[in-house]
Amino acid sequence: MYSTKQINSIMYMKAKIILLLLTLLTVSGYAQNITVTGTVTSSEDSQPIPGVNVIVQGTSRGASTDFDGNYSIKVDSGETLEFTSIGFKTKTITVNNQSVINVALDIDVESLDEIVLVGYGTQKKSDLTGSIVTVKSEDVERTPTANVMQSLQGKVPGVQVVSTGSPGDSPTIRLRGIGSYNNDNTKPLYVVDGMFYTNIDFLNTKDIESITVLKDASSSAIYGVRAANGVIIIKTKTGGIEQKPKFEYDGYTGVQFAQNVLKLANAEQFTTMAYESGSQADINFILNAMQRYGRSRVNPNVPDVNTDWFKEILRPGLIQSHSLGVTGGSENVTYSVGANYLSQEGILDMKNEYERFNVRSKIDVKLSDRFKIGVNSVFSNATKYNAENAAWFQAYFAVPIMPVVDPVNDAYMVNAFPDHYSNAQVLGYRNTQNPFPAMRYNNNQLKIRKLLSSIYFQVDLIPDKLNFKTTYNHDFSVINERYVNLPYNLGNNVDRISSINRVDNTYSNQIWDNILTYTDSFGDHNLTLMGGTSYRDEANDNLSANGSNIKSVDLETSWFVNATDVTSRVGGGSVGRRYGVSYFGRAAYNFKDKYLLYGTIRADGSSKFTKDPWGYFPSVGAGWVISNENFMKNNGVFDYLKLRASWGKLGNDNVAASSGTNTITSISTDIGDIETNGITSSSTYTDNTWEVIEENNFGINLGLLDNNLTIDADYYIRDTKNAIMPVFVPIINVTIEKNSGVIRNQGLELAVNWNKTVSPDFSYSIGTNFTTLKNKTISLTDPKGYIDAGSAEFRQRTIVGQPIKAFYGYQTMGVYQNQAQIDADPIAVANNLVPGDLIYKDANNDGVIDDNDRKVLGSYLPKIMYGGNIGVSYKDFDLSVSFYGQTGSKILNRKRGEIIFTNDTNMDADLAINRWHGEGTSNSYPSSAGLRKGWNQKLSNFWVEDGDFFRIQNIQLAYTLKGEKLFGKNMPETRFTLTADRPFTFFKYNGFNPEVSDGVDRQTYPVPGVYTFGVNIKI
Amino acid sequence: MKNLKNKFSLSVLSLILISFLSCSDKLDIKAGQVNTSDVDYSDTDQMIQPLIGAYNAFATRGWEEYLLMAVRGDDVNAGGDQVPLQDTDNYIYSPDNWMYNSLWNLHYADIVSVNNAASLIENYKELADPSDYDRADQYIAETKVLRAWLHFNLSRLWGSIFIINTAIPDNEIEAGVATKDEVMQYISDLMDEAMPYLPDMRPNERQDVPGGVTKYTALALKAMANQELKNYQGVADAAGAIIASGKFSLFPDFYEEFKKPGELSDENLLEMQYSDYNSGTGDTFYHLYAPFGPAKYTPARANAEGGWGFYEPSLKYIKFMLDRNETVRLETSVLFTNQGIAEIQSDPNYATLPSFISNTTRDGDVIEDNVRTLFSSGKHYLPSIQLTAGRNNYGAGKNNICIRYAEILLMYAEALTHGATGSAMTADQAVNAVRQRAGLLPISGVTTQDVLNEKFAELGLEWGIRYFDLIRLGDYNELSYDGRTFSADKAMLPYPQAQVDALPLEN
Repeated sequence: MYSTKQINSIMYMKAKIILLLLTLLTVSGYAQNITVTGTVTSSEDSQPIPGVNVIVQGTSRGASTDFDGNYSIKVDSGETLEFTSIGFKTKTITVNNQSVINVALDIDVESLDEIVLVGYGTQKKSDLTGSIVTVKSEDVERTPTANVMQSLQGKVPGVQVVSTGSPGDSPTIRLRGIGSYNNDNTKPLYVVDGMFYTNIDFLNTKDIESITVLKDASSSAIYGVRAANGVIIIKTKTGGIEQKPKFEYDGYTGVQFAQNVLKLANAEQFTTMAYESGSQADINFILNAMQRYGRSRVNPNVPDVNTDWFKEILRPGLIQSHSLGVTGGSENVTYSVGANYLSQEGILDMKNEYERFNVRSKIDVKLSDRFKIGVNSVFSNATKYNAENAAWFQAYFAVPIMPVVDPVNDAYMVNAFPDHYSNAQVLGYRNTQNPFPAMRYNNNQLKIRKLLSSIYFQVDLIPDKLNFKTTYNHDFSVINERYVNLPYNLGNNVDRISSINRVDNTYSNQIWDNILTYTDSFGDHNLTLMGGTSYRDEANDNLSANGSNIKSVDLETSWFVNATDVTSRVGGGSVGRRYGVSYFGRAAYNFKDKYLLYGTIRADGSSKFTKDPWGYFPSVGAGWVISNENFMKNNGVFDYLKLRASWGKLGNDNVAASSGTNTITSISTDIGDIETNGITSSSTYTDNTWEVIEENNFGINLGLLDNNLTIDADYYIRDTKNAIMPVFVPIINVTIEKNSGVIRNQGLELAVNWNKTVSPDFSYSIGTNFTTLKNKTISLTDPKGYIDAGSAEFRQRTIVGQPIKAFYGYQTMGVYQNQAQIDADPIAVANNLVPGDLIYKDANNDGVIDDNDRKVLGSYLPKIMYGGNIGVSYKDFDLSVSFYGQTGSKILNRKRGEIIFTNDTNMDADLAINRWHGEGTSNSYPSSAGLRKGWNQKLSNFWVEDGDFFRIQNIQLAYTLKGEKLFGKNMPETRFTLTADRPFTFFKYNGFNPEVSDGVDRQTYPVPGVYTFGVNIKI
Repeated sequence: MKNLKNKFSLSVLSLILISFLSCSDKLDIKAGQVNTSDVDYSDTDQMIQPLIGAYNAFATRGWEEYLLMAVRGDDVNAGGDQVPLQDTDNYIYSPDNWMYNSLWNLHYADIVSVNNAASLIENYKELADPSDYDRADQYIAETKVLRAWLHFNLSRLWGSIFIINTAIPDNEIEAGVATKDEVMQYISDLMDEAMPYLPDMRPNERQDVPGGVTKYTALALKAMANQELKNYQGVADAAGAIIASGKFSLFPDFYEEFKKPGELSDENLLEMQYSDYNSGTGDTFYHLYAPFGPAKYTPARANAEGGWGFYEPSLKYIKFMLDRNETVRLETSVLFTNQGIAEIQSDPNYATLPSFISNTTRDGDVIEDNVRTLFSSGKHYLPSIQLTAGRNNYGAGKNNICIRYAEILLMYAEALTHGATGSAMTADQAVNAVRQRAGLLPISGVTTQDVLNEKFAELGLEWGIRYFDLIRLGDYNELSYDGRTFSADKAMLPYPQAQVDALPLEN
């Protein structure tokens, strides 16, 4: 939402233009008798509103308010004055000989005249033909997070946000399904003040003025080859002309707690499973544990240790953020500067945290009537300590019959240092299992410094009609990675020497845009034309070095490569550079604000594609504002009704670049105990072209009941053609990325919002949104008819007619309960099955269970997502609650599934408790012995679970102090907030967390609940 | 004034446009890759580089490959918790077994890799001085020997397989699989083709690539292929040629042949080389030997790591060796735990055991009792005192011998017992050469069974040689031991499902 002042300054300019036009069109000859004067103010804060259009209805006579909100206009008695301003509800007042008419305008939350950012320009919301959603900063500020996208979850229909709990990491964002095979290629394009990004972790939420999501192809086509996964335009805060300095402090501090912690099998359950497994080795391990740690007094068959590993590795994590900003402006200069500090601890009990300091400044200078220049910079300095994500996985697997620290100091453990962490090998297990050594002795530091710097120069060639703007943006970032392995000994000859791995990455991305914009009106015809060029240069440079045996390793000051053994040092490096050249244009036309036409074209050249670097991406859109038709005037039902349709084509160059030719790799090998260099070469190469997305979008916007109720709905069909997929080349045994099929996403998006101001003291709002998604493979060029993903044991397959990368395996029909059932089933007899084994469906009815019986078991993409919020404001208090849910997604519970690699391990309590252990005990879980059998380990829907969940996203209670006095001095406006973010999640999945971005749950960082207290002070 | 401003604006605009247009030629630049066409092939000093790459591919092996090739024999069992390996050991085969797919993929990928190396060498040869032609031809011939060895393994496991001679094998795949006999004949012919260009010396005599393949490696593979073809005269001729050269001899110390002292010995005809270059830090080129190692042991040198216990010499093999009064060969082949020794002694016939049977190796490493395995392979064990200081991985830097002269002697002897003639030596002489080193008394009038027993004792635990001997001779009873039942249809593995899906193959 624009602040009142900011809107004012924009509108003042606009009003001048409109007034100019009106004056030209005015037909003189009337004599107006009365001169009406007055002041227009905002009903919210009683501040004057400049730039309000005051028009005599049914005529073309008009005026606009000055900086103090004053206007003056000549009218006849009985005529009606219409007061319109962006961001406010239009008001009409009939003149009855009054000479002073003061008007208070209500803020229009869902203003249709709102200015919306589109690529390389702006449009009025009412002129849009595509699907564009703008999220106001106040809606995202409620979520205490380092990454603003995390707060978008459940707020925009069609946008899937898979949140992450790992501090400093970015959530997975998907716009309208998944249009590209590789997950890394599905990131939307972020355009921050004109610069392109795929990661906006450097932005502070408080610095953002608005987030605009361009969803359909027609809206985003102006970004051509980068727009395939949707475009999110982010505008940072700007000052206003003649605006007094406005200071704002915003801060919060709080704690994060792990939610829905998965219950692991305890020592007793684990022991029972081991005894029932029939494996002598596993029983011996239990005996070893009892010998070593004693027997439990409660149950003497269980070792006297009961470690809940998840409990051990978790901790509460602190989070805090402090932002300070000033915006303002004089006659010719506007400015917005600010700084932010944020720190967040991870909930994994190790050096796992994120700390960021941001500085931002934006200055625009009007050099003369026609020339304007501006600079913008955001600098972000972050330090991130990555979690050892393997700990999540190790904690699941570590046996509960082993303590964190081993109390016995025998021949096995005597060498253990620096801590006496237990080692499962001592009990006979193959692996050490204990997650603590990795958590305590690995230090993963990333220093992330990012600088966005841009400058523009703008000239009005024909005042108010034709302007030219050239902009240069530079996104420069350096990421210094330092991974230190400290030495330790876990006993039983597990000895690690220290080592360090340093990686320096430099990214330098530059964009140079030139844009010519022409705006004009001819009678009822309104036209905006835009043409431009864009040049992109994206370079990366990577240098790495590592060494081992660090001298004085106990001191962090020794953690550099030159402190390691000279002979141990190894280095490497790589570079990449891509260029892009683009030409683009746009025409937007409206007739009488009823009929809307829109078209764009972009030609993109990219050095990524050897065969043909050039691609052309057109789009068209049309809209009909039915409510502006005469026959719909005063219909009493619809305040606003618009039908829209659009079509567009986009490219995705965020895919594997063509190598274009065979390439060489350097290797070294041992020849006669001498390290000898050699080369190997590839025998495959790729000649890819970009993926092309073609999308049809149909939409409707409705305003009802005095625009208090708004309904926005969109239906789309989005096809990704030439989709790049990994094609396995047998014999050569490589997988090459190749254009090889069509993927379709289609769905319905619906947003319903109700806002009501009951009285100045009481208002409320209710908003809900609903999204359906159907992802389907339309065609594949591979003659096999499918493309495999995942590993052979955990197969995911892309088949025509099915979602991409769907889980693919057997369907279980229950568990064999008794011998009679086995004897009666030839399949069970043929496979030597016993009661407690799973029954699989013989899908092709050939009497044999084999690969041909496998079927699609579901996709990791949700079929339905829904979100909503309720806000109530009473006097100085306001309360908001939002929720989010999804259904239809599947999760491969790979934590469980990895029993196929070793059955040395623990499991979750559900699996242990609900196992089959005698007739009638379970018809879905195999027996303990069965879990270890190849037959039951085949990928089936036993391992693939529902990922449905419902979550209370955010609850915030706020109290605002306004106009209070303390010791006779005016108190600044102060707002106190209590926030619970993601406090409650409800799901059935047997894991920590149902949010798994690729659906394969192995070591997903759980999403914590965050509880904060915040203060906001405005001066 | 206004006019001037417009002119200024326009000229700025056109300047911008011109400079923009000049950006377009950047679209052809590809940074960050080295293309095969970027290599300077006229620099023949670099011609050896692709060959080194081929040896690198040959020696880069997945841990499961060796185990999978060998586990079905009656000399060795699957230990530990590896269901895919245990099932295979018990002749329960599944096309979904990841190990089958992995071995198939890695072997074929390496075939393509060595073929790629050959074509890069061809590129050098085209621009080379005629004086370098011999060198180019020799390198190409070396890649053929490596290619033959990879095909040999694949065909022994699956029978009919694709023969791949190029780096872009579309046509060869389309031609379909060749039968096992065709593959073995192809290997034999390929070795004949390569031999004239290969150095006439032992691998350890080579100066350019110490331990690289020579004419005798090609002869050895030819003998092995002909043995699979049961063309025993062919075996006798090829193996006889190696023997007659007089260049090879058995390494005197059987125990150390499999340790660092035996690396690049006069006995070795083909060897994968691994090393940490005798430095405690820095680059290493290792094979992962942990699967062979005991799950628990107390090393003589502190901090040496144990193994995973996946590969366990069978009780049948140990008793066979005890029955023969074997000493150094049993000591070398098997690492004993106390539990294992007790298990042997639980059979009254073996209540008293020779003193060398101990859970402490002669190099002082103590093999501890563990629930995974009673025994471990001694042929894949490197005493901890032979590890480079600072290196702790199990067997770190130990070479892996693929073909030993002892195998040549025994192949030769077996061929003669099948009726082939050979002038290099008699079957008795060949067998007794091997027995002598093992500290056994000579025998005379050797039969095929004598040679087979000698092979079992000498080559046990190595590369599945025992299993493939039994398969070749149809001696399935030996494979039905310890509760297993073998039948002829179990001889070959099923094709991996992933390959059936991707290639013209049918199980």
